[in-house]
Amino acid sequence: MIATKTRSHHVTVKERPVTTLDQQPAKSEGRKDPWGALLERVGKHQDREAYQALFKQFAPQIKYYAISNGLASHAEELVQEVFISIWRRSCLYDWRKAAASTWIFTIARNQRIDMLRKMQRSSAEMNVETEDLWQIPGDNENDPVTSLHRLMSERRIRESLSHLPEEQITVIAKVYMEHKSHQMVADELGIPLGTVKSRVRLALNKLKVILQDQNV
Amino acid sequence: MTRHHPDSLTLMEYSAGNLSEARALCIRLHLDQCPHCRSRVDTLDSLGAVMMDHQPTVSVDDGSFEQLMARIDAGPEMASPVAYKPRQNPLQKLLGQDINDLPWKRQLGDVSVLDITAKFGDRSEQVVLQKLSAGGKAPAHTHRGDETTIILQGAFSDQNGVFNQWDFVCLDHNDEHRPVAVGHEDCITLSVLSAPLKLTGTFTRFLNPFIR
Repeated sequence: MIATKTRSHHVTVKERPVTTLDQQPAKSEGRKDPWGALLERVGKHQDREAYQALFKQFAPQIKYYAISNGLASHAEELVQEVFISIWRRSCLYDWRKAAASTWIFTIARNQRIDMLRKMQRSSAEMNVETEDLWQIPGDNENDPVTSLHRLMSERRIRESLSHLPEEQITVIAKVYMEHKSHQMVADELGIPLGTVKSRVRLALNKLKVILQDQNV
Repeated sequence: MTRHHPDSLTLMEYSAGNLSEARALCIRLHLDQCPHCRSRVDTLDSLGAVMMDHQPTVSVDDGSFEQLMARIDAGPEMASPVAYKPRQNPLQKLLGQDINDLPWKRQLGDVSVLDITAKFGDRSEQVVLQKLSAGGKAPAHTHRGDETTIILQGAFSDQNGVFNQWDFVCLDHNDEHRPVAVGHEDCITLSVLSAPLKLTGTFTRFLNPFIR
């Protein structure tokens, strides 16, 4: 499905992200990631050069995200909406509260939800906005206590992901990239729901995402 | 059965943006009051970012960035910074009034209900507010598949313990219980039910998870 949809586009399997930016921020910046530093420049100074560097890095990811979510004919539009939102919200971004890529992922997710809401809008208007339901990390809170944990967790996940079996990554990718419930993933792969859930749990365990689940 | 906090799989579906609006609302109400689960969702959001990075990329159209900048330069309403908004209870925003002042419909004894399904776009689920008067008892009952409940006010207890404000409860047909409202306040809950409905004379009675 996806392969057919994306054939007309230029799909390139990514190697290392190509960027001229310093990948190792100065010591004084602590644990700020390079993308976070760019986002802050956009937020504080409407820095267009920083904005363009973020666009080069994330726009092709978001375009793929749109296509894999079944929004191929709206992929460019979603990229635009996400970046307009990044421009407008960057003043609220705080690197201590979320890694830049995490923050951008939640913006992309919310714009995708927003787009679908507008397309499927029934006569009953819901007077609650997407962001009232789907939180952007750090938006409405003032507790930088867990911030270090947040930044570390993204690094940890990035490093651990390469050790996961492909079947677990496939299931997680379908949930995150294709807007599929665990049940839909089970139906598509022709495996029982229990198997999907156990693959996800195994992966989350290895990624140490499961934090003291009450009932697992 | 899940009690007090949502499980990681549900939070993952929230983080991925795959839940219905009504179920997302239940999660959001819980997250706003639970730093522990907020931190779990932050981690899952990071997993989403890493997955996005792990996927192939697709080149944007030529002139895409220039078009973006043209939009930003075109009007301040397009490009103006979003102001910080203090946290607002999304349910209160949705209802437009305090949950205690709603036109509650008394169901049976100590139980009142209000169906708010019409407030949501998705009609495949039923969304109900329920109220058990302070000190009141609900008859013993079980639940239909996949019922998500969050406690908005007060507390109730059953044989499994005490459930307080902002606790999250998932119940199914195996969970028979007989909740009692504890404390001096009415216990008010928000529930999302997935089972399809039949509009019959016993409709309201049938849908009420407290008294089924």
